[in-house]
Amino acid sequence: MKYSNRFILFLAVLFVAVMTGFYCYAGQDLERLDPWAFESPRRPGAVFSHDDHIFLADDDCSVCHHVYEDGELVSDESSDDLYCSDCHSLKPAPDNPMPLEAAYHNLCRDCHFDRGEGPVLCGECHVKE
Amino acid sequence: MNSFIAFIMGPMVWISVIIFLGGLTFKLVGILGAVRQKEPYIYSYMTLKHSLRSIGAWMIPFFPRSARMSPIYYGISYLFHILLFLVPLFLASHIVLINEAFQISWPALNDSVADGLTAGVIAALIFFVVRRFRVPEVNYLTSAMDYILILVVLLPFLTGFLAYHQWVAYQWITVIHILSGELMLIIIPFSRFSHMLNAPLTRAYMGSEFGQVRQAKDW
Repeated sequence: MKYSNRFILFLAVLFVAVMTGFYCYAGQDLERLDPWAFESPRRPGAVFSHDDHIFLADDDCSVCHHVYEDGELVSDESSDDLYCSDCHSLKPAPDNPMPLEAAYHNLCRDCHFDRGEGPVLCGECHVKE
Repeated sequence: MNSFIAFIMGPMVWISVIIFLGGLTFKLVGILGAVRQKEPYIYSYMTLKHSLRSIGAWMIPFFPRSARMSPIYYGISYLFHILLFLVPLFLASHIVLINEAFQISWPALNDSVADGLTAGVIAALIFFVVRRFRVPEVNYLTSAMDYILILVVLLPFLTGFLAYHQWVAYQWITVIHILSGELMLIIIPFSRFSHMLNAPLTRAYMGSEFGQVRQAKDW
């Protein structure tokens, strides 16, 4: 059976179109936290949408961007002008009992447990790249 | 779902560890009590020196005669028992959870290395299943419970392997991973897995009997 050149051209164009669509879809980057503050992260940055969380926190930045003084949470104070790693060093220190990794894990996971929604297992946030 | 996960990652871990440690303690007290009641003279020739000598000799790879008589089975079994403890205790993901709960930490295996070693544990378990089918004298002594117990060990390692790679149904795989790990801990005192307690006791007894009484080696 012999196919016409037109038909083969049609198939070729169709193939390219489908594959382009597939790569565009598969290559879509998930919105992630950038783990730049970690020296050698073992896992990819956690999947996280800042916009969604502003909405969930009713525009109250201090829910996540908190301020602690002498181990006490200062209410209504926001630290949204700082990086998390400005206070949370990689290793526990006298002025910071909560290392950076634990700070992220506890803040995210505890809130997701308390609200009964949101990812709580390792790979639900650290989705493979 | 999150409250269920909170339960199996929280209280259920404590319940499992308490049953595991409590069950083994109960078992140890029971064994020592039974010996005191039935054959108390055993205690008269038990010595620490011969006990430790026997346990030590049996921990040296291919040192005991019976190990050299079936080197393939013994070699795989030896590596399997090391990996059974090494991989879960030195897995980075587990150490992170321990660290967040107790603020203690220790060096972790490289993830790729741990991944390969996990595959090794799974391969060893498959070998044990095949052995029970194929070796006539082992097959003769095998009951359904032996396969069930191999499955109990296989589940946490297989689901851990799958969860690490995140190929399919990550959430369910991880939930089964946590539950099967807890199941294994709970089953240890009530099954043949209690040989983690019985084996050193048996060696201590045999070592003392052979060493102290017969002036012979038991390996």
